[in-house]
Amino acid sequence: MPQPKSPRRALVRRSLRRICATLGLAILVLIAPALVKGEDALPSDSELKKLSLEQLMDVEVTSVSRSPEKLLEAPSAIQVITNDDILRSGATSIPEALRLADNLDVAQKGSHAWAISARGFNTDSANKLLVLIDGRSVYTPLFSGVFWDQQDYLLQDIDRIEVISGPGGTLWGANAVNGVINIITKSAKDTQGLYAEAGGGSILQDFVGVRYGLTVAPDVYLRVYGKYFDRDSEVFPNGDDASDSWRMGQGGFRMDAKVSPDDGLTFQGDFYSGDEGVATGGRVKVNGNNVLGRWSHTFSEDSDMSLQVYYDRTHLNDPVPGNSVAPEGRLIDDLNTFDVDFQHRFRLWDFNHVVWGLGYRFTDDAVENAPGLAFFPTTLDHHLFSGFVQDEVSLVKKLTLTLGTKIEHNDYTGFEVEPSVRLSWTPTEQQTVWAAVSRAIRAPSRIDRDVRLPTPFFAPLIDNLLIGGANFESETVIAYELGYRLQVASQFSISASTFYNVYDDIRSTSLGPPPFGLPLFYANNLEGDNYGLELSANYRVFDWWRLHGGFDLLREDIHVKSGQFDFNKGFNETADPKHQFSLRSSMDLPQNIEFDVALRYVDSFEFNNNGVPGTVPSYFELETRLAWHPTKNLEVAIVGQNLLHDQHLEYVISSPNPREEIQRSIYGKVTWRF
Amino acid sequence: MKTPPRIWFTLALVALGKAHSSGHGTPADEYQLKAVFLYNFAQFIEWPESAFATADSPLVIGVLGESPIGSNLEITVRGEKLRKRPLVVEHYRRVDEIRNCHILFVSPSAGPNSKQILMAVQGRPVLTVGDTEGFSQGGGMIRFLTEARRIHFQVNVEATRAARLVISSKLLRQAEIVGKTGE
Repeated sequence: MPQPKSPRRALVRRSLRRICATLGLAILVLIAPALVKGEDALPSDSELKKLSLEQLMDVEVTSVSRSPEKLLEAPSAIQVITNDDILRSGATSIPEALRLADNLDVAQKGSHAWAISARGFNTDSANKLLVLIDGRSVYTPLFSGVFWDQQDYLLQDIDRIEVISGPGGTLWGANAVNGVINIITKSAKDTQGLYAEAGGGSILQDFVGVRYGLTVAPDVYLRVYGKYFDRDSEVFPNGDDASDSWRMGQGGFRMDAKVSPDDGLTFQGDFYSGDEGVATGGRVKVNGNNVLGRWSHTFSEDSDMSLQVYYDRTHLNDPVPGNSVAPEGRLIDDLNTFDVDFQHRFRLWDFNHVVWGLGYRFTDDAVENAPGLAFFPTTLDHHLFSGFVQDEVSLVKKLTLTLGTKIEHNDYTGFEVEPSVRLSWTPTEQQTVWAAVSRAIRAPSRIDRDVRLPTPFFAPLIDNLLIGGANFESETVIAYELGYRLQVASQFSISASTFYNVYDDIRSTSLGPPPFGLPLFYANNLEGDNYGLELSANYRVFDWWRLHGGFDLLREDIHVKSGQFDFNKGFNETADPKHQFSLRSSMDLPQNIEFDVALRYVDSFEFNNNGVPGTVPSYFELETRLAWHPTKNLEVAIVGQNLLHDQHLEYVISSPNPREEIQRSIYGKVTWRF
Repeated sequence: MKTPPRIWFTLALVALGKAHSSGHGTPADEYQLKAVFLYNFAQFIEWPESAFATADSPLVIGVLGESPIGSNLEITVRGEKLRKRPLVVEHYRRVDEIRNCHILFVSPSAGPNSKQILMAVQGRPVLTVGDTEGFSQGGGMIRFLTEARRIHFQVNVEATRAARLVISSKLLRQAEIVGKTGE
């Protein structure tokens, strides 16, 4: 039952006003000297040359550049979220960090649920994005999507997040239909020493994280970390508590060793455990662990190989509410994944860079069904074999052609082929034009084939409301892409990508046999296309002030194939705004102060809540972060999120979950480095 | 009733935290700073006699790859002399363009395979400097790191010895010494 409006909210509002007043005053006091002095030029070279080595090491650096130079030539719509971007944004989770990628649609559904996709199809069980953490795939075979609440890391130790929009099937395999998200953590060598963070706020009530990195032997580096947080629930549109508070603890380690001049070894693992409330009542329990090993060997300058093995286990214990056809119950899922991956890179005849690889993945999924939600067979062992080859051919000096294909064999649909052709042209050192045509597929997941929504109250007249399609096939896309990138010194850069995707065999729902037309079942009766534009630009106004802007445009036409039928008339697979834009400002102020602001706009979009259509209105939202380094090793920060509205709607989950809105929130954080 | 937001705890810490003067004046551009570091390094290193043709041959700082450090170096060394030798900056786009130089800065745009680059100058008295991950492990001599918005650097002493360079203790004192990589 929803609880009455909490007095805590009134207290937060008062606190907020007090905090804003104090902050405003503090900012004024601290900026005043700079305002009076006027805009400072760079320290002159002659000034710097006078400094001793020790003094030079104390000079502050404004731009923490990572090397995007090679990125400039990539023939794909890739955006990189750097560690600095993540820390400056005040993001507290991986989904919040993903907002920094302009080519993603990120919508928060509630306290612990997110809808994330690229180039459309951000449906409730969005399934067209492949997500990897350090080479380990994190999507669930239950619905080919990601449980975002279970993907976490100490954000401080994430090196970067690469977000590629567009099909990545050739290199990454099935499921990378609309994009690939690659989360890469820092090598243990780069996370030495003790790091600790702690803080709390209105929604992120308290959190703590610690990491300790050490050198265990020459060229052998290790880090261990632990983190924990408590998050409050979000609210219903009327302001009532939605009872979806949650907490999660996670820990892990990473070891990187250089065992010989040509051999590197990485060994890492994590474990997590948490529990979450859900708006429909009850609590979800989740836990999991993984361990990964990778050996990389360099044969010569142009040739290297890597062998990676990982094991991943996840456990989910989910309350399933009762309804008119079935009583309530619990769905318990245990998934074990074992994956081996081999890659070899070499140069052929001077102008070919060839990469090829082989992979095998074994998943063992065991479900304990709820009366109202079930999967049959309850236990499923699945084998996935894959191989790929890609050749990057330097045609003439500035023109590179990349040809490749991935071939996979999965237990549902047999062999699948995902080829791709890409062309990259660098007319000048600062510009790249690229074009690509690719085919990618989304293989069936358990929800497409094995799901059942049983109706025990009506059995044996009707057994199920909905079942998976026994012949459900892979969804396919043929994508045509074109892109341009320009870098003007270190001052300004812009990248633009356009795409036209043709989809076939998209999931639909068909009517069952007479007399009731039940059970409904999944089929592949949708097709269509979408097209759009993704723009991203960086501008360094002054050395201490950076601006970033992003804009996305999307038009979708997904419809029922002629002569076919879909229960939801083609509306169930998409829930995407037509436009989005974002604007971020990052300032390094005097007295070791950092001030960051991020504004975003998301257009309205239509959703289809299992046959009940509706609209999520457009919204503007704002995040800000103010941080101070009183000493070299200490940082104090205050972050405000979703500041423009008391609460706002970003997404509507399919029934029976009631809609939830996201509240304004604020938190403070202290960081120590030793 | 739930306890008030932990904001107040954090703000209290802010109030108690001691103020610290922000280093030296306004923040500097990363590559301007690294260029000045290179200029500084030159003063603390002794090259073998054979590295120079005559007593007043120039000391050459080479930059491999496109990097903003190039133009910054030009400005930094303009008109400067080190022990009577003029300082000169040379730009190389590819490994096979590297000629006689005394310091080689390997920019990230030169490619991820620093091994190949370092092999090209192996055995020669060239101080190799870089800022990419794995540079020291691959045999690079000095690697820049940025942490808490300040630049510090690692020195691979074995590699400098192999190149017959003598590094002053004044430089080593400020550096993180990195263990040998093998070879």
